[in-house]
Amino acid sequence: MLLDSTTIDPAELAGRTGWVVKPEGACKGELCVPLPPEVDAGGGRLDALVLADRLAMPLIHDEAHGLWALGPETAADTALTTVEAPGLELPELASGEPFRLSSLRGTRVALVAWAPW
Amino acid sequence: MCLDTAGADAGLPYVQAAAPEHPSLLDRAHIVDELFGIVNVPNGVWIDEDGTIVRPAEPAFPGDADRSSRLDPSQLSGRMADMMMLAGQIEADRNVYADALRDWATRGAASQFVLSPDEVLARSGERSPGEARAAAHFELAQHLERSGDHAGAVGHFRSAHRLAPDNWTYRRQAWSLEPSPLPGLLSRFWQGPMEGSEDEWPYEGDWVSDIERSGPAHYYRRFTGR
Repeated sequence: MLLDSTTIDPAELAGRTGWVVKPEGACKGELCVPLPPEVDAGGGRLDALVLADRLAMPLIHDEAHGLWALGPETAADTALTTVEAPGLELPELASGEPFRLSSLRGTRVALVAWAPW
Repeated sequence: MCLDTAGADAGLPYVQAAAPEHPSLLDRAHIVDELFGIVNVPNGVWIDEDGTIVRPAEPAFPGDADRSSRLDPSQLSGRMADMMMLAGQIEADRNVYADALRDWATRGAASQFVLSPDEVLARSGERSPGEARAAAHFELAQHLERSGDHAGAVGHFRSAHRLAPDNWTYRRQAWSLEPSPLPGLLSRFWQGPMEGSEDEWPYEGDWVSDIERSGPAHYYRRFTGR
């Protein structure tokens, strides 16, 4: 997840990573990680350094470009933390129109990643 | 889902030729790599009617490819011949996966290929702290590439490669963005230095050298039904 500051919008965090901040902490599937009070950065935003530390996510700072990248969590040692499919939204390749994976709920879905390289 | 930081142009001809009935999406930032643990293409993930992942990311093939149009290595020279020879040695369970997918499409939860949640998580692949850092570097790389800062992108691509040495997607996407002597749709597959300009190649490895080092037989994980 790309950031241009060290604070995060919780809604963007949820949309991009699947981590939802609730009273009990940051939750993904059935896993919830308590968050300390200092995660509150004010203005409804989260402190990225505190969040990254609690969720064992790397936070890379590209000083030259004024950017940070928050990487995926590593607490579980596996790529998937939950078997709940993420709320994935990507543009359609031909039209550019947004497509949500959740629109296929009720159908068996095979996601196939491929590349023209 | 077409993974290509470069955009829709290279993938569109394939989609137009296939004229699929299903949605075809574009992932320039490789978000799905991070979300599902995809490290090579093509890869498939199965999600059931309730939105539960029942098979995690793994090599996925649609069945035997039409090899009649494949270039004959004996008619080529230099790097092109090496590439075609190595490509021919890559082993993949081309029909096994497609058969399993059809079984699930027909039988649903009763399919023998549906995995339990514990198996799904365990098979989703390891993610070390280094590999997580690689994902963060890759995201910066693709952002800078799309912003026109290729040199900045290369720095982060190199970091991603170093931190995730088993991730073919990170390597091949980066290599495919470098100059190529091949025409049309083939151009993105060169993924190596231009002949005579080897000193200008910005990466430690390339498609030929990395496949030779790891062995074409190990390029894709074998399909294990259960």
